[in-house]
Amino acid sequence: MNTKETVLNILADLTGSDVSNSMDENLFETGLLDSMGTVQLLLQLQTELGIMAPVSEFERSEWDTPNKIIAKVEAMQ
Amino acid sequence: MGKKLWMIFGPLLVASVVLIGLLFSPFKINRISPTIEKQAATSLSPNILKGDAVKRAALSDPYYVPFFGSSEFSRFDLTHPSVMAEKYNWDFRPFLMGAAGTQSLTHYFQMQGINHQLKNGKAVFVISPQWFVKKGANPQAFSFYFSQLQAVNFLQKQHGTRTDRYAAHRLLKMEQNTDNGNGMINKALRQVAQGQKLSASTQRNISYYKRLLAHEDQLFSSLKLKDDNQKKINRQLQALPNSESGDLIRQAIIKQAKQQTSNNDFGIKNSFYSHRLKDKLGKFKGFERNYDYTKSPEFADFQLVLNQFAADKTDVLFVIPPINQKWANYAGLSQSMLKGFNKKIKYQLKSQGFDHIADLSNQGSQPYFMQDTIHLGWNGWYAFDKKVKAFVDGEQEIPSYKMNNQFYAKSWQNLAPDDLNSYIKNNG
Amino acid sequence: MLSLTPYENPMYFGMLAVAFIPIVVGILWGKRFRWYELLVSIGFILLSFGGPKWEQGVALVGFLIFEVILVSLYNVYRKKKNDTWVFVIAVLLAISPLVVVKLTPLMSGTPSIIGFLGISYLTFKAVQTVMEIRDGVLKDYNPWFFLQFMAFFPSISSGPIDRYRRFRKDYESVPDREKYLNMLEKALHYVFLGFVYKFMLAYLFGTILLPKVQHLAVQSTGLSWGLVGVMYVYSFYLFFDFAGYSLFAVATSYFMGIETPMNFNQPFKSKNIKEFWNRWHMTLSFWFRDYVYMRLVFFFMKHKIFKNPKTTANITYVLNMLLMGFWHGEKWYYIVYGLIHGVALVINDWWLNLKKKNPDRFPHNKFTEYLAIFITFNFVCFTFLVFSGFLDTLWFH
Repeated sequence: MNTKETVLNILADLTGSDVSNSMDENLFETGLLDSMGTVQLLLQLQTELGIMAPVSEFERSEWDTPNKIIAKVEAMQ
Repeated sequence: MGKKLWMIFGPLLVASVVLIGLLFSPFKINRISPTIEKQAATSLSPNILKGDAVKRAALSDPYYVPFFGSSEFSRFDLTHPSVMAEKYNWDFRPFLMGAAGTQSLTHYFQMQGINHQLKNGKAVFVISPQWFVKKGANPQAFSFYFSQLQAVNFLQKQHGTRTDRYAAHRLLKMEQNTDNGNGMINKALRQVAQGQKLSASTQRNISYYKRLLAHEDQLFSSLKLKDDNQKKINRQLQALPNSESGDLIRQAIIKQAKQQTSNNDFGIKNSFYSHRLKDKLGKFKGFERNYDYTKSPEFADFQLVLNQFAADKTDVLFVIPPINQKWANYAGLSQSMLKGFNKKIKYQLKSQGFDHIADLSNQGSQPYFMQDTIHLGWNGWYAFDKKVKAFVDGEQEIPSYKMNNQFYAKSWQNLAPDDLNSYIKNNG
Repeated sequence: MLSLTPYENPMYFGMLAVAFIPIVVGILWGKRFRWYELLVSIGFILLSFGGPKWEQGVALVGFLIFEVILVSLYNVYRKKKNDTWVFVIAVLLAISPLVVVKLTPLMSGTPSIIGFLGISYLTFKAVQTVMEIRDGVLKDYNPWFFLQFMAFFPSISSGPIDRYRRFRKDYESVPDREKYLNMLEKALHYVFLGFVYKFMLAYLFGTILLPKVQHLAVQSTGLSWGLVGVMYVYSFYLFFDFAGYSLFAVATSYFMGIETPMNFNQPFKSKNIKEFWNRWHMTLSFWFRDYVYMRLVFFFMKHKIFKNPKTTANITYVLNMLLMGFWHGEKWYYIVYGLIHGVALVINDWWLNLKKKNPDRFPHNKFTEYLAIFITFNFVCFTFLVFSGFLDTLWFH
């Protein structure tokens, strides 16, 4: 599984919906993600991809669509 | 960029220029209409005392006679002077200045804006014995009627006399916040109180500030008038007979007063009695036994007022109202203390040449003389009206006052009336 | 000496306008006059904390020195090691002056001498900096800059609470002319909107109406129309007063070429309580979200303290809002206010979840949206009534 698929899987788990068709949708505005979900996302990334993203690293405007999240994760690998 | 900057800041600049022009220009910017004057004469609004524009406009015409006093003015029954003057179309109208809590010091400072209008004119001044309590004027009440315009007026006209120093000292004592934090007024007052001269730059700043305040006053003070009192007056006009006949008026008085004092034995107006006294009546018995109106800083504050009248050569009628005798007996207010107050205040007046005194103080037992415990009503107002009308309609005298600064001294403020004779011997 | 509370006096605005002329001209030509900016900042801080308030001024300087030394020492340490206990001690030390200031009146009945207007807002800035150093995202921490960030005068007394990295981005660059002109335009608009909010509407609600309804309400100790009046009037007063102030602070920073974040975004049209906290006192609620809520959740989840993520979220909501209540002051009504909002967030989440799972059972249309706004608004006003402390006066004094 590549990074993109892993991230999408995690997001599907967290949001309860498939986001692969709306890669540029703002997940916070649609209510799919909130602070709680964000923390879960960061933890999942840590366990599944070994990425240590501290909460401080999380700037909402940089993590608000599936595409941006994937880009961020790839940059951190 | 210039265009964009102009689009952003242009309106602000234009508005600022207009506003500054409006507030600092040396011109008068708002005419006070006769309707406003009429409304102001009976409105009893605090902003009449705080401001200058309305008072000046009205009092420039001898048609309006300044009446200085306090809460009695709000007792609009059928013989209230404002009602009588309107009903019988007297040659003058009272311009009422005073409301609950206004005492000598408030009047001294509010007079500072109308010295020109008081000059060589006539005035009526109602002295309430209740002002002369041990602590003197209440700072909160004073503050309610105080304005920076009053302070600025005072600072402009003062020239370091004993009166000016005492007034500045009292003002600083009363009012913690004499200016909205900018320090200038407060500092100037402290200098005056210490007998220092104000520097030329301070005087200049004060005069700029005065322009600002005066224009604010001209623009806004007439907007804040209440006109509820005119409605009360209109109602009372109906209750008076159409001809100004003493017999008919006395009948109308009895008719109204009897009806309105039916729920108590004190001759107190029903509404006052049921709202203010009935529930606590037991508590009031003997409650005023230790009241003392003979030793008070108010005597010195009153001297400030007298000095101002003297400086303006105003011909003044002083009225000393009585206290409801039945109530005084019930509450235990001492008669000898009241007589002492009367003696002391009259000495302060007469010894300095203030000879027009309408002393009603011994009439508190006459029926329907008082509207409640301490405020004139029906027959009381009628007696007041007769004295006042005779005084105002009479010849204008050129008063010759002999002012005596001894009356600022603590020794006078706290003098027991029993010691008056020896005081006169020592100081006369 | 002259002493003015920020944004309360025409003279203060006049002085700001004059002092800003060189700054504005400079930025328009792509230059920041650092020394002049520093001078202006010191001047206005002196204006707020000098003269009769000099004791507060001394307290402010002492506080700033303390926090700068503390955060700088932690930064030096963090470069070498990263023990959790050191981090915890650094955070505790950073909030210790605030704790002392908040607790002193409870113990001795008098305000603490180390208190000053704005201490709680500055504490936030210090704590977030410590946390970001710990997370390793502030690699180029600079004590001198940190001091300027803390003492940025437009928002020193009551926020909005900016972020170190965001502030630095603005501070170290000069906005280009077109962008800056737009900022100026906005700034002036905010100033005048602020005048309407603070000097007209807040005056109307707070100075004219509030005493009247309070007078009505104290006639009885129970529920009365007066009390209902106090609830709404106080709510509007609170909003217009604080939003007005915040607009001034934001506008002032815009003039200096700094885009301080907005604090309010039409909070009374929120459809639920979560949305409300995304619109009301935003820099505070985002601060709590990012530095308390998310970190607590992270901690709880990582150590698997609670089995269920929902339980974690709910417990953290309540803890988070309770802490916010305590931050407002050690009075029962602030704490109850925090508690109510914490519980409301829990219920809100439960409700939204229920709705999401049963789209057929709960209709969603314009009417339900208005109903939601209505309910949220009234609930919020009720919590502001608690917050106002008026019930305390009414019942216990």
